[in-house]
Amino acid sequence: MLRIEGAAVPKIVVSLLLALVAFTAPRASGQDAPTGIPITIENNRFVPSEVKVQAGKPFVLVVTNKDAKSEEFESKELRIEKVIPAGKTASIRVRALKPGTYPFFGEFNSKTAQGRIVAE
Amino acid sequence: MGATFVIVLREGFEAALLLGILYAYLTKIGRPESRRYVTAGGVLALAASIAMGVAVSVISGPLADLGPDVIAIGVVFLAVVLLTWHGWWMGRHAREIRGEVQRRIDEAHARQRLWLVGLIAFTGVFREGAETVLFLWGLLVQAEGVSSWLALVGGVAGLLGAVVLGWLVFQGGRRLGVQRFFTATSVLLLLLAAGLFSTGVGKLQGVGLLPSGDPVWDTSWVLDDHGALGGVLTGLAGYRARPTALEIGAYSLYIVLVGTLFFPALVRRKTYGRSDVTAPVAHRQI
Repeated sequence: MLRIEGAAVPKIVVSLLLALVAFTAPRASGQDAPTGIPITIENNRFVPSEVKVQAGKPFVLVVTNKDAKSEEFESKELRIEKVIPAGKTASIRVRALKPGTYPFFGEFNSKTAQGRIVAE
Repeated sequence: MGATFVIVLREGFEAALLLGILYAYLTKIGRPESRRYVTAGGVLALAASIAMGVAVSVISGPLADLGPDVIAIGVVFLAVVLLTWHGWWMGRHAREIRGEVQRRIDEAHARQRLWLVGLIAFTGVFREGAETVLFLWGLLVQAEGVSSWLALVGGVAGLLGAVVLGWLVFQGGRRLGVQRFFTATSVLLLLLAAGLFSTGVGKLQGVGLLPSGDPVWDTSWVLDDHGALGGVLTGLAGYRARPTALEIGAYSLYIVLVGTLFFPALVRRKTYGRSDVTAPVAHRQI
C-alpha cells in the first residue's frame, strides 16, 4: 500500500504539469495578443524606468537585456521572476492590473535596476 | 562583493537547509547508505540547472518565454507534494523511530522509496539552481576590473556560505535527540512546504491562471521580503510582506490540513481529550 502511495506521487506531478502546459499554452499563442511594451536593460538600469499601461487590460513586457550578464526581472507585487540572459529578450505576460503603481527591479543589480509600472 | 554574497546565499539557503535536514534524517533513521540518493539528487539538480541556464541562453521565442515559468511552477508544486509525502511518512513512523534503541527502522519500511527523498533534494537544488548558475556565469564573464573580480569572489563566498549552513544543519541535526530532531524538522518542513505552496499559488496568480487580488496587508515597513532577514524568512516559512487573500488562504489551509498529517499524535490526543470532557457533561444534562 505504501508503495502505491509512493508511485502515485509522480503521476500527480505529471498531470499537474500537463494541466499547467495546457492552460498556459493557448495564452502564449495569443488569441487577443496584447501589444508588447519594450523595456531595455542597459548598464544595470531599466530604460525606460517607468511604463504606463491601461488598467484592467493584460499586457506584455518585452524586456531586452543589452548588458553582458544575466539579469532577473522581478516584481514582488506582480509575483514575477524572470531571468533574462545577456543579450536576450524575454516576453513577460502581465495580468490585468487595477489602477496603481507596481514597482519592479533587477534582482541581480537591485541598487540601480529599479522601475515601475503605472496602471491608469 | 557584499551584494553578490547576499544574493547567492539567499538563493542557496533553502537548498542547503533541505540537504542538511535530509542527510541528518537518513542518518537518524539508520539508513546512512541511502544518503547517496540525496547526493545524487543534488548533483543531478546541479547538472539540470546548468543545462537549463544554457538552454535559456540559447533558445529564444515562446518556448524560452513560457518554458521556465512552467518549469518553475511545476518544480514548486512537485516540491510541495514530495514534502507533504515525506512529512506524512515521518508522522506515521515517528513512534517506531522515536526510541533511541530501536531507531533503525525495519527493513520493510526501509524499502519504502527512500529515493523519493533524493527527489526532494533535486527539487530543492533545482528550484533556484538555474538562476544562480546564470548569475554566477554573468559575474565570471564580466570579471575584468578589480571590483568585478570582488563581485565574483562574493558570489562564490555566498555559495560556500550556503554549503557551510547546510553542513551546520546536518551536524546540529545529528546531535539532537531523535525525538527532538523529528519534531524540529517536521515543524521546519511544514512551514517550508506551506511557504512553497503559497509561493506556487502566487506564481499561478502572477501568470493569470488564478484570479489575483490586492494585498490583504502590507508589512514591508516592518520587514521587507527583499531584505536579508525578510528573504531568509521567505525561504524558510514563506513570509510575504504583501500577501494576497488566496496566498494567505493557501498557506493557512496547508498548515491546518497537512499539519494533521505531519503531527498525527497531536490530533489524536486532542480528539480524545475532547470526547473525555464532553461525555460526562452530556450525562449530567440527561
